[in-house]
Amino acid sequence: MNLFLKGGEVASENTAPVRADVWIENGRIKAVGADLAEPEGARVVDVSGKIVMPGMFDAHVHFREPGGEQKETILDGSEAAINGGITGVVMMPNTSPSIDSATVVKRVLDAAKECRIPVLTSGCITVGREGHEMAGIDGMKKAGVLMLTDDGDAVPDAALLKRAMEYGSEFGMFFASHCEEPQLAGPRALNEGAVSYRLGIEGTPALAEEVSMSRDLALAHATGATLHIQHVSTAIGMEQIKWWRDERGAKVSGEVSPHHLMFTDEDIGDYDTHYKMNPPLRTAEDNIALLEGLKNGAFRIIATDHAPHTEFEKSRAFEDAPNGISGLDTALVSLFDRFIDKGEFGWDLIVKRYSAEPRRMMELEAAEVAEGKSVDLIVFDPNGETTFTKEFMKSKSSNTPFLNKTLKGSVDMVMLRDEVLLER
Amino acid sequence: MSIALDQSAISTALSRLADQLFLDAGTDTIDLVGIRRRGDEVSERVAALLKEKGANVRLGVLDISLYRDDFEHLHENPLLQSSEIDFSIDGSRVILVDDVIFTGRTIRAALDAIFDYGRPAAVELAVLIDRGHRELPIEPRYVGATLETDRLDHVRVGLMKTDGEDVVELTQK
Amino acid sequence: MARKDFLDIVSLDREEIIQLLDQAEPFKDLFTRSVKKVPALKGKAVLMLFYEPSTRTLSSFEVAAKRLSADVTTFDVPSSSVTKGESVRDTIDTLQAMRADYIVVRHGLSGQPAAIARQTGASVINAGDGAHAHPTQALLDAFTLREKFPEMEGKRVLITGDILHSRVARSTSTILRKLGVKVAFLGPGSLVPKTASPDIPRFTNYDQAISEFGPDAVYLLRIQKERMAAPFFPSDREYHNLYGITDERLRQLAGEGTYIMHPGPINRGVELCDAVLDYDRCLISQQVENGIAARMSVLYGLKPQTS
Repeated sequence: MNLFLKGGEVASENTAPVRADVWIENGRIKAVGADLAEPEGARVVDVSGKIVMPGMFDAHVHFREPGGEQKETILDGSEAAINGGITGVVMMPNTSPSIDSATVVKRVLDAAKECRIPVLTSGCITVGREGHEMAGIDGMKKAGVLMLTDDGDAVPDAALLKRAMEYGSEFGMFFASHCEEPQLAGPRALNEGAVSYRLGIEGTPALAEEVSMSRDLALAHATGATLHIQHVSTAIGMEQIKWWRDERGAKVSGEVSPHHLMFTDEDIGDYDTHYKMNPPLRTAEDNIALLEGLKNGAFRIIATDHAPHTEFEKSRAFEDAPNGISGLDTALVSLFDRFIDKGEFGWDLIVKRYSAEPRRMMELEAAEVAEGKSVDLIVFDPNGETTFTKEFMKSKSSNTPFLNKTLKGSVDMVMLRDEVLLER
Repeated sequence: MSIALDQSAISTALSRLADQLFLDAGTDTIDLVGIRRRGDEVSERVAALLKEKGANVRLGVLDISLYRDDFEHLHENPLLQSSEIDFSIDGSRVILVDDVIFTGRTIRAALDAIFDYGRPAAVELAVLIDRGHRELPIEPRYVGATLETDRLDHVRVGLMKTDGEDVVELTQK
Repeated sequence: MARKDFLDIVSLDREEIIQLLDQAEPFKDLFTRSVKKVPALKGKAVLMLFYEPSTRTLSSFEVAAKRLSADVTTFDVPSSSVTKGESVRDTIDTLQAMRADYIVVRHGLSGQPAAIARQTGASVINAGDGAHAHPTQALLDAFTLREKFPEMEGKRVLITGDILHSRVARSTSTILRKLGVKVAFLGPGSLVPKTASPDIPRFTNYDQAISEFGPDAVYLLRIQKERMAAPFFPSDREYHNLYGITDERLRQLAGEGTYIMHPGPINRGVELCDAVLDYDRCLISQQVENGIAARMSVLYGLKPQTS
């Protein structure tokens, strides 16, 4: 491949986009610079007015294989990622069977070999995510797992989690916590507040997340384990991470999902299950605080918590419908439409929090659009628009509030190594 | 649009109704039941005239909304008001009173309604205006005025208390 | 254009509520006639779809529909374990086949009647869904109160009990407030959510509620026995002592001329003592009678899109 991206602006994690042409040859970035001469024999693509940036990396996705292939397969999920400008993902282990042993890890990673982007997986902390016995950490490590999590649920037994942290740190693994105190969480349908009262459904208080998070952060601090807090939905939760990290030197970090920045429980309106996920959508004040946290570095990464469910499952009564929102197809465009385009933050933040940092967290080299680097980039058109029809989305499911909505911005090209994965 | 009956013609029609009713009743109590809306005003005014003549009159009001046969064709079900018949109609000779008789369907509904209140000895019909074109075998015994109309013409009745003026307008289609 | 469905009170405006109340009066008048039936809904099919057992509300709707001359079918819904697994779509498929013009739905899950309404041309009436809404109860409550206080504006109603789980508290407080009535909530702190409404005073102490709020009527909610399992308060006896209408409190209310209401069925010795039922300002039996008129008014006021 010999390709010349002409006229675009190159985004990086440290600066605002810089006007530069990009020359790609044989899977490497040969040159980056303003007004480069068009190389001979190269296919020239006019990307004037568009952003050239590293591929995104999503460290929190549910691909449902094995066991839930009607919702999503590993292959479909990876194609949804490419469709959204994402060139690497980390699967969560709450499949059926759970990804809690070297055997299941190998099976999943075998299936992932078909994919056109790297698909990594996390592994369970406890066998079957049941909270009773420790999963085979050494075996999973050797099979390629770095992140341990019982995502979907918190580890109910604090002593077990403490021992797992003490034990697992030896293997250089890090822990990720879905924080939720089950007794306080209740039926897990929506946030406890004015909306849950109005709709007459028992709510899950922010407290359920905050109490559980407080426990896990203290455990990480005490054991010296590295801990990543998944999908933080409350302002107080976020403050706790910052405090342990900055005031106590704990090796802790946090992640925020696009939907927790954009939506509130008010959006549920008349029982719209597209807005039902766990942790639930909270309040406008939480939106504002989380966005502020993203800007000031309280969160290490953005991740979608891509959680596909079939149309039939989501058509059930609000209380019976499963939790989850599909995110890979829509994440980058929606973050652009809601925040970058409105001047809330710049491209550098997106590159840092949704590309560079999640890769570093997974001990991968951060992708960069710079001379000599391997090709891992996307072209984003800020003047384009995207309509999220079922046909457009590559995920097997379409459980997103953006279904059939048109947003500003469009992922025009995705390139990885020596291959153009997507071009529109 | 033309004025079919003006204020004085309406007065004459009301008087004619009162005269006929008085003549037939003799010394018996006259039980008038006006059909909402406007039948009630006609019955009130006829009752006043009868009382001037010294007749014994009892007055009731019947709301036939619940008995109409045209619900399917209405955008909104008619606003319901109470029926007010304070006397027992069992064994009584009830005079139903309405402003206009046209197809006869309103009177059919009123007949259904009145029998749900009791079992009158007889039911008669008095109307201010008969505009013809019956669709049912129903004829008024007492008529204030007769109006020649085509089937598709529109007859608008205005009465003082209900509409602020006494007038009958005929709009030809 | 009239409404197709009657799902909650929140979406009604004041004028619609007043119209429904006004229309309930002629229906109530019918009850004293020799023939209590009118032919308004002759030939129409009313389907009772009760996923939760309820003898009272079901019979009230049946009587209301029959007095309007509708054909009433009570659909025998299997045990509630089945309903848990059934999607709205499954339900709709069943209903389409029955060709109802009106569907009266009671469901344990909040929002189910609305979901059914979106997918059928029949008029759907919510007869209680989860902890969400019970709009016909609200209408009969407002009607009953209006009989005592024709000018409702500024009157005060203290709703007492399990506010957290009660659809009656939600719907009745909403309708009363739309009619200008002042509402306050009273109950154990664990059953009166702070998030309910910033405009509704919240009391957790009976005496304080009575003296500070000065209610014209006390509305007692039923305490569900299953709340004891959670638990939200220590015992029935303690609830009765703290929040129930005891003989002593009844004397106090009688002195003030305060009315007592309850949606039924009552728990004697929990929400109220036996003497309440003989109290001349206890409106519980009027509520039951008015329920039929209120439900006739709702059935009459809706416009199915089935033809």
